[in-house]
Amino acid sequence: MKLDVRVEKKESGMAKVYVQGDVTIQTSPELRKVLKPLFVAKQKEIHVYLSDVGFMDSSGIATLVEGLQWARDMQGRFVLHDLRDTVRDVFRLAKLDTVFEIAEVGA
Amino acid sequence: MLENRLGDSGEGLEDSQIGKLMFQLNTKKDCVHILRSMVEVMAMRAHLGELESNRVILAVDELFANITQHGYGDKPGRVEFEAKLHINHHRQKELHFEFRDYAPVMHMKRFTCGEDKPCSASDVLPGGLGISLIHSIMDVVQHEALTDGNHWLLIYICKSDGSCEGEES
Repeated sequence: MKLDVRVEKKESGMAKVYVQGDVTIQTSPELRKVLKPLFVAKQKEIHVYLSDVGFMDSSGIATLVEGLQWARDMQGRFVLHDLRDTVRDVFRLAKLDTVFEIAEVGA
Repeated sequence: MLENRLGDSGEGLEDSQIGKLMFQLNTKKDCVHILRSMVEVMAMRAHLGELESNRVILAVDELFANITQHGYGDKPGRVEFEAKLHINHHRQKELHFEFRDYAPVMHMKRFTCGEDKPCSASDVLPGGLGISLIHSIMDVVQHEALTDGNHWLLIYICKSDGSCEGEES
């Protein structure tokens, strides 16, 4: 399955990343490829929108953890938005739902 | 109800076309789609709800990914897979998933954060998170080292008070 990732960069230093498709061992390199340049650029905030992601496995979570590490190292914000119940459940199972900043739907 | 079609005890379920699926696949990453479809079929037959179904699919996916990556080192390899629906002594439905591979013997280590200490980003190590997810989803995770590979058994007991979510009445 194909993963579509679209980035919108704002002048304020905020980047919005819209992800569509399943984030799996097969597709997570695509997401990593898009996120990595944002980590090295001088972004202050990265917001990842996941409303169109129905399935995520551990490699998808591991990719997002890199964002978390960037946020900690650079004092930036890495925020996940609009998680579907199935994806939120995976974060809960991995006990990482309280580690990530997860915005409520529509925030 | 499914049991009624097969007898009150669920007798014959595992030998029926409803109760069992078997196939052989190779460790190409795209085979995970086939695997996922088969697990989805079994989850539907067990009348699992969306969240339960997603969890079961995820756990089976993760084990296959581990066999592919860590067992066969991303090289081509043979994997036999069997899924069956079983009624246990407590009249609960169980989904059994068995993998047989011919890779070198593997040892799975899970990370233990979230039990005594909170998880952090540094706890997420390659492979470790997937194993932890498998353990947190499945009721039984068994590994047997064989002379020529590995045998894996995952058992998921359908939740929701002994009868699965969405069970026909």
